[in-house]
Amino acid sequence: MSEGETGQLPLEISPPAAPILETQGLSRYFGGLKAVDGVDFKLSSGDFHSIIGPNGAGKTTFLNLLSGVLKPTQGKVIFKGQDITHLPAHRIAHLGIGRSYQITNVFPNLTVLENVRLAAQALGRDNFKLLTHYQRFDVYIQRAWRVLERVGLAGVGHSLVSSLPHGDKRRLELAMLLAQDNEILLLDEPTAGLATEQVPEFMSLVKEVAASAQNRKTVVLVEHNMSVVMSLSDRISVMHQGRLLAEGTPAEIAANQTVQEAYLGSLYSDLDI
Amino acid sequence: MSLQTATVLRSNTFRSSLLFSAAFIALLVLVNFALFNPGQVSVVVLSGLYQGMLFFLVSAGFSIVFGLLDVLNLAQGSFFMLGAYIGFAVYGSFPEGTPVWARFMAAIMAATLGGGLLGALTESALIRPLYARPVFQIVLTFGLGIVFTELVRAIYGPAGLIPIQPPAALDTTFPILGARFETYRVFIIVVGAVLMAAILLLLQRTRIGIIIRAGVQDSEMVQALGINIRRIFTLVFALGCAVAALGGITAAPYLGAFPSMGDQFLLSAVIVVVLGGMSSFEGTVIASILVGLTRATAEQISLQYLQTPVLASLSILLIMIVVLLVRPSGLFGREN
Amino acid sequence: MQTPGALYEQPNRASHKGFLPGILLAALLAPPLIAAIRGQAPPDVSGFEHFTRSLAEVACADGLNLVGSLYIAETILLGMLTAVAFAFPPGKHPVFTALRNQGALLSALLLLIAMPFVIAWGTDSSICERGKSFFWQSVFIEAFILAALAISYNLIFGFIGVISFGHAAFFGAGAYGVGLLIHHLEWPLGSAVLGALLVSVAMGVFVSVIALRIRGLYFAIFTLVFAEIFFVLAQNRIMVNITGAEDGFTFAVPDWINATKNRITFYYLGLAYLVGAFLLVRQIVNSPTGRVMHAIRDNEDRAIMLGYNTFTYKMLAIVLAGTLACGAGILRGLLNKGASPSVLSISFTMDPLLMTLIGGAGTFIGPVIGAFLLHLVEQALRDTVIPIAGIEINIGERWFLILGVIFIVIVIAFPTGIAGTLQSWWNKWTARRNARAPSR
Repeated sequence: MSEGETGQLPLEISPPAAPILETQGLSRYFGGLKAVDGVDFKLSSGDFHSIIGPNGAGKTTFLNLLSGVLKPTQGKVIFKGQDITHLPAHRIAHLGIGRSYQITNVFPNLTVLENVRLAAQALGRDNFKLLTHYQRFDVYIQRAWRVLERVGLAGVGHSLVSSLPHGDKRRLELAMLLAQDNEILLLDEPTAGLATEQVPEFMSLVKEVAASAQNRKTVVLVEHNMSVVMSLSDRISVMHQGRLLAEGTPAEIAANQTVQEAYLGSLYSDLDI
Repeated sequence: MSLQTATVLRSNTFRSSLLFSAAFIALLVLVNFALFNPGQVSVVVLSGLYQGMLFFLVSAGFSIVFGLLDVLNLAQGSFFMLGAYIGFAVYGSFPEGTPVWARFMAAIMAATLGGGLLGALTESALIRPLYARPVFQIVLTFGLGIVFTELVRAIYGPAGLIPIQPPAALDTTFPILGARFETYRVFIIVVGAVLMAAILLLLQRTRIGIIIRAGVQDSEMVQALGINIRRIFTLVFALGCAVAALGGITAAPYLGAFPSMGDQFLLSAVIVVVLGGMSSFEGTVIASILVGLTRATAEQISLQYLQTPVLASLSILLIMIVVLLVRPSGLFGREN
Repeated sequence: MQTPGALYEQPNRASHKGFLPGILLAALLAPPLIAAIRGQAPPDVSGFEHFTRSLAEVACADGLNLVGSLYIAETILLGMLTAVAFAFPPGKHPVFTALRNQGALLSALLLLIAMPFVIAWGTDSSICERGKSFFWQSVFIEAFILAALAISYNLIFGFIGVISFGHAAFFGAGAYGVGLLIHHLEWPLGSAVLGALLVSVAMGVFVSVIALRIRGLYFAIFTLVFAEIFFVLAQNRIMVNITGAEDGFTFAVPDWINATKNRITFYYLGLAYLVGAFLLVRQIVNSPTGRVMHAIRDNEDRAIMLGYNTFTYKMLAIVLAGTLACGAGILRGLLNKGASPSVLSISFTMDPLLMTLIGGAGTFIGPVIGAFLLHLVEQALRDTVIPIAGIEINIGERWFLILGVIFIVIVIAFPTGIAGTLQSWWNKWTARRNARAPSR
């Protein structure tokens, strides 16, 4: 795609394989409010796929629908060819779909280690061993420590989460995802609340995590930070008022007139592709 | 969720719950006519309305306080009881020869004011420090209720006081469809109805009412608008206690006054509020009538066919369970 | 390379874990054995009865007897050893570490084992016949039952964070269940106990399945009404032939468990149940399952999103707690050889709640402390009259008033209860101590 291509949505090149996650006509209404409206979204395995859009575009609601927190009013969510629309929320993690939250959603009165250990334990088979001390299950504890080392939180492993600074809590969100070794990572504004200088380091951690696994992880990132989105994404979807406005590579999106007019505008004009 | 969407959401379940309530009341009336003669039916209906009004008086404060403050005031019943006792004390403090109606009015005013003041004091001193810990709030109000009850029991003794005399005009019975019913109990129904209307008007038409309703939806937002939400909380709490106290003194000429009267009504009040939906005042209004009529009907059936009143209490327990299973937030409650 | 995990202290498992409980077992069994050997029994009896009769001959003697003095000596010894262990810095020697961790609890347990003899010594009475020790044994048995009930309530309330106001239903189901099965269906004791326990399991499953999707406060009130239905049913006159209505009914129990004749056996039975309940709850809370319950209490939504089916865990907690409460109720029924509607009343929901709060919700020993404190104080001060500002207050009569005041004071001043407050004082003290001492 060369510079200067404008206008209509570019022809979508079909991904080589079937999408790992897709939605068909996914909608969620709250009374008269159409938070998500007829979204057809396709996620290719191994992609780093960002979703952008102004506040209220429905991005978080969309992630909630993908992760099973909300059930759609209409439409389907399909994972590896199977309809998971009506799966109860707690089954989603077992499929390999992990989620981090825009507003930190961890266990505030437990230690950092325990938070991650619980994430590791969840997908194991030892949850109903009622009469064995939990510390005997070393595998979860060791995995938790390794993950904490990876994100740089090993030093505060024994601290209570409520005593952590905001940046560490965001890392903890990421750590809990890592501990579950999910195939698909749904990240909802992971850098929310971080100071500007902390963002690049954090995002390189995210990218490193996504790339380092045996099979590349698939990432869906909801973000406001345009430089992050443009530099890291393989594909970008743009949402506006609950609908999917455009989808394509960063270059395509940057060049897309409709998107630019809608609101990228001044936000984007001083960034180079 | 915006106010608009919440309202839209409410209207569908609202309508079906309204329909259900109307249908149920109609069913109760039909059952009555089928089983009893017209005189008995009228006694049951009036008795049901009377009980419903008493439940309402105790639970009105409950539901608004819960809706706005998220506090389950388990001491509510004891305010009902305290109202009766304060009224009694005032009633008896006048010199010989004071006309009954004067004593009566004074007792009512004193009880209502006393209840309100005590409620305001309770909220600011004891409840306010605990807003972050709702479980402890419940425990605290429970303990407070016990303290009030036991203090009264210690001071006045467990036996209770002989009912005071209401004004002569109300102290009669009147005939209805072949049976007789006490005028005073109708007076209680009227007082309850007036209060229902008054509070509904307050909530719908006055500025304070709008603030309260907005606060029930989103108290942080109201605070952000610069309104002193703390004072509103205290006011609402005091209002709830005042209404309960008013109920206590109004019922006193018929019920008398005894330390455990609050506890007896507390369970029924809780059922009424839960049945109606905890943050819905309209729900409390409708539910209190529903529960009152159900109880009166069940009592009559129970006495007639089983010779014991056991079905009376069972009926309202069962209806609460059934409703909660179908509507986990109560008939008109809001799903947060 | 040292992994970060190695920095984390492993609990003192492996070889030395069973060391102290093993000693405790020996301490428990030795005195009766010695006494049975030394005691005299009629020559015409043999076997187990010979054992019990010779034991009784020694143990039932007035005042301080051989068994009593042995138990008391053991208690003092263990207590002193534990105190010594605390004087040394941690980690020095596995025996001292074991004593630091378990010594206090085990000393308290030994004290409870010795208690009837302590009282017998102090009042020069016998543990087997009517007298002060006999009387106080029943007070302690009631305390054991209440403590077990409080422990079961703490499992739901303190550990998984579900508020229930219907706990009395399980307690009453135990008392009524075992009584009805023995009295009307003439089942033997063992089957009746099992039957009552199964009923409570069914109740727990039933309540969970139909009501757990109701949130928070509504669920609490649902349970309140659920228990109230049982109460009304127990009281009503229609079933008076079965339940005895307001007066309740009585039933016969085998001699060995008859508290009027053989109270000391019941005492140790109650104590054993309390210890069993305590250990069971502690084991469960420290298991992977228990950790999930902790997490659910902290942030249920996140637990769900991690992949935990929180419904299952909540139901498990409710069923377990309900069954433990039922067991306590069974003991209560057997103790009184009867059941009356009071076992289904709200006080057997509110008392464990208060005891748990006083002792410290979410701790293991808290409910036990709360139960003992409340019950023993109530008993000890029953007839005391205190003059305050010219008014005489009879504590026994005004006990509910005092309870209400305690409720309020605890909530405002000591929300973490006794155990919780002590724990935070201890943590602060050791933190200060470690700060002063040079790091290892």
